[in-house]
Amino acid sequence: MPERITVEMLDAMRPKLGALVTGQANKLPGLQYCDLRIEVREEKGAAAENGQEKASAEDYAFDFGVRVIAGARNSAAGYYGRVLGAADAANIESVVWDGIQQAHQRARASARMKSMARRRFSELGESLVAASLAPVPIAQDTVPAAYTIDPRNVSLVEAMKLAVEGCKLVQAQSSNIGYCAATTSTFLLRELFLSSQGADIDQSFAQTEGFAIAICGSPHGNYDIYDSTGHQRGWELLTQGYRQGPIVLPNFMDFCRNLGATAAEVAAAPPLKPPDKEVVVVTDPHFNTLLVHEVVGHPSELDRALKYETSYAGRSWFLKDLHDNQLGKQIASPLVSAFSDPTMEGYGSFKYDHEGTPARRAYIIRNGVLEEFLNNRQTAAIMGVAPNGSARATEAHLIPLIRMTNTIFAPGQQAPQRIISEVEDGYYVAGHRTPSIAESRENFRITAVKVYEIKNGQLGRLYRDGGITSDTRDYFMSIDAVGNDLRVNPIPNCGKGQPMQAKRMSNGGPTMRGVARLTGPG
Amino acid sequence: MQSLAALKAATKEALAYVAAQPGVSEAEVFAASNGNLTARLNYTSHIPSTGVEEPKSIESYGLGIRAAFRTPQGLAVGFGSEPNDLSLEGTRRALDKARQGAVRDPEFVSLPKPTGERPTLTGKYHDPAIMRLSNPRLVESGWRMVEKALETFQSSEDLLNLAGSRQGLRDLGLILGGDVVLLQERMAIASTHMPKVQADESTMVMSFATAMVESQAAKGSGWSVGRTLAGFTGDSAAQAARQAIAAVGGQRAASGRYRVILGPQALDEIMEWILMPGLHLSTFYAGASPFMGKLGRTIAGEQLNIYDDGAAPDLAGSKAVTDEGLPTGRTDLIKDGVLTGLLSDYYNTQRILRDAKGREKLGVDPASASQAIAPRNGFRPGNGGGRNFESTPGTTPTNLVIQGRRGYSTQELLRLVGDGIYIGRIWYTYPVNGISAGDFSGTIVGDSYIIKDGRLAAPVKPNTLRMNDNVLRVINNILGIGSQRRGTVRWSSDQITWAPEVAVADFQLEEISEYMERVY
Repeated sequence: MPERITVEMLDAMRPKLGALVTGQANKLPGLQYCDLRIEVREEKGAAAENGQEKASAEDYAFDFGVRVIAGARNSAAGYYGRVLGAADAANIESVVWDGIQQAHQRARASARMKSMARRRFSELGESLVAASLAPVPIAQDTVPAAYTIDPRNVSLVEAMKLAVEGCKLVQAQSSNIGYCAATTSTFLLRELFLSSQGADIDQSFAQTEGFAIAICGSPHGNYDIYDSTGHQRGWELLTQGYRQGPIVLPNFMDFCRNLGATAAEVAAAPPLKPPDKEVVVVTDPHFNTLLVHEVVGHPSELDRALKYETSYAGRSWFLKDLHDNQLGKQIASPLVSAFSDPTMEGYGSFKYDHEGTPARRAYIIRNGVLEEFLNNRQTAAIMGVAPNGSARATEAHLIPLIRMTNTIFAPGQQAPQRIISEVEDGYYVAGHRTPSIAESRENFRITAVKVYEIKNGQLGRLYRDGGITSDTRDYFMSIDAVGNDLRVNPIPNCGKGQPMQAKRMSNGGPTMRGVARLTGPG
Repeated sequence: MQSLAALKAATKEALAYVAAQPGVSEAEVFAASNGNLTARLNYTSHIPSTGVEEPKSIESYGLGIRAAFRTPQGLAVGFGSEPNDLSLEGTRRALDKARQGAVRDPEFVSLPKPTGERPTLTGKYHDPAIMRLSNPRLVESGWRMVEKALETFQSSEDLLNLAGSRQGLRDLGLILGGDVVLLQERMAIASTHMPKVQADESTMVMSFATAMVESQAAKGSGWSVGRTLAGFTGDSAAQAARQAIAAVGGQRAASGRYRVILGPQALDEIMEWILMPGLHLSTFYAGASPFMGKLGRTIAGEQLNIYDDGAAPDLAGSKAVTDEGLPTGRTDLIKDGVLTGLLSDYYNTQRILRDAKGREKLGVDPASASQAIAPRNGFRPGNGGGRNFESTPGTTPTNLVIQGRRGYSTQELLRLVGDGIYIGRIWYTYPVNGISAGDFSGTIVGDSYIIKDGRLAAPVKPNTLRMNDNVLRVINNILGIGSQRRGTVRWSSDQITWAPEVAVADFQLEEISEYMERVY
């Protein structure tokens, strides 16, 4: 048994598991397709509360997941996932083989029952089809992680020191901040993707993240605010910050200082009393980070659009059915473009997704016209389009879902100061807080950290507990200015699936101006 | 799955080993084995689909060790775990991780010690049939739900009349989504403070189904929760289909303040996301509850009673012992409108007892409220449920029970409302201005009706009304609470809320998304 699980251990496993998937699995009765994802994560983290040490840990994660498509005419998919330990390293082939067999049994059983259902429900059964995957280029590739300070070389003492100091810095911003918590974490992840079609992809990622929450007392009621910073980089992200193109992330001390100062400033501000009419709103890049996530990214996920998430995560107003949908239609102002691009730098970057599909930019909205959904191989086959590499799982033992990657509003031409200065009477909505989105994403309410009055082109009084609400298309169509100040921010916890998977990705946008109703307390 | 005997033996052996190691002041060993077997469903009559889309499982087992270590700087406490190894080698690895990560937390008092309460849920209450579930049986449970929904759709005269022919049924856009989730849970725990190994074994089967007649914008839900495979019928899918058919012809309602009835799912969502976080002791510690300083005071209408009971013999969310080795039991949270208790785990109870601001935070001396803040809810839920050896305990509800001082029938509640809205299912209901403010927003997505003259008059069209209200106002505007409670299922969780229908006055609704009437 190895003394510790390391990412390097996958070197020895890779050829053996490849042979299992391309050789032995292909001999299983009726097997049409099999893929295996196996990963090792070496991680460290620390947590502090009110400037006191709370917990720290150095550990590994080692797990795998299998998908098999099997059966005769009505083939079906079966899955199996398992958490692994050091004790499994020596006999990994037999452990994985057991998983493949279990997934295969499920696939065959499901294919049989699908055939029975098709026979039993003659009309309604016609839409039950074989599980099929759109073709993708079969890749063999190795993709290294990008980092300066290797997450494995960070000491727990250092991780804890940063969490404690960050926490203290939050609280130092105001004596009214009665509670603060901060966490730091960093890991090196290595993923293997092996398929019966011959894919053999080895990708590594470094990821580092910081989080802080502050609760600040106020005559207007206690105010809580939290935020995360993170990127696919090493520990240097927290110690030095990161600045590259649209990604501008402060170091963790500055991040915490800003959060504490914001908590104190906003807590003391009066609650917004929203006017009972639509108003001009200028939204900043941080607010638009959540806006694009909720009302562009999510409805562009093709599993939602094809009704697969009807029960939980919701559908999409972009698509009623394969023939009647918004593709090619104007759903936003011509100034609005949005895309998802895992090939650009961000928290959702990769070269291949978890189906082995090469990553590429997908234009969701171009010049206001809906152009493309984010898909996986199965939904791409249903739509008759090419896969665009959007299938990702949070961990290998979980099933890949269609996910945003780096999904952003494209920048425009105007300086943000100009966009504000043109507003005679309106509001500046800065920083995202909490969303509540309608089921098919056709309406939204998103609260902001700060709402300022704009009078005669100047920012005026600051309010707390404000936000905006609108019907999505009306808001998109009202956009009349798009700034040149694109910022891309991390979103560390997007929930989807059953059991729910919390996925990291990037979202962002520039300053934008539109028309919406303001929301306040109550 | 590892056997309970194997977990117990490993726990005993591991504790003996850990307690004997140099520098160990106190220690706790938690061993668990979990299975989450899920079949996700996706049937669409108008789009190619595969019926049972994801028959899958996640398995894990291992040891988690919490230990306090004597160091020159004082006591340091740490946690470590090791998957898939119940041997002494696994124990050694987990202990090494706990030692390596140990920190000096000045608020740490001790690992859990007996509280004086005794377990009341005894005997076996799991289902061996779920523990040994085969792959074909997992798949069959999913297909059973698909077939129940298709039977209901196919046999509906109303749908046939709408479609004009059997072939035309497909064009109505019939949808079934959802899942069946079967949980297998085994755990054992022992510590230097409670060296006798305690063990527990539980199973659960939950289903949730959403059906639609999409061309008619009609949606319905069905769900079930139980402990045994024999009790799972798949009828939740038929119920969802029936509800969807009944919702054909949905209407819009204008913005305004309404008298409403919150159905069990709607009430559960508001409880889960908006109210319950404010009833955790840890939220009081942080100063984020809307009820700061109000323990023992009236916070809601006098009809409202809420308690959590992890030891109720007849409720599916019960467990004999917490993941801290302490007895589960009943904690009254709100009694006749008065805040009477808070959910807690051992760590949070201990630290509020020593918090210099404890009296200010609770409104009473914490020491005088020991029963109200007893640690009956220290669990280690995994993703989607289970008892996760890889994490430390936190506060988690078990069976959350909501009941009125007097139980009303549905008909009585409808008469109380007169003219208003029955809100059956809501979605994405979040505390938009933070937990302490109590403000929430969400949308009505199905199972909802316009109430006229004390009767259900017409379905509400899904996704056309947004709730914008405050939970403090809601719990103080209660008109009546139903006598029938239903176990409700939460997304990716094994916590169960036993929720009745509740009539509420002055509930703010906003009409939304009118443009969608012209989009398709």
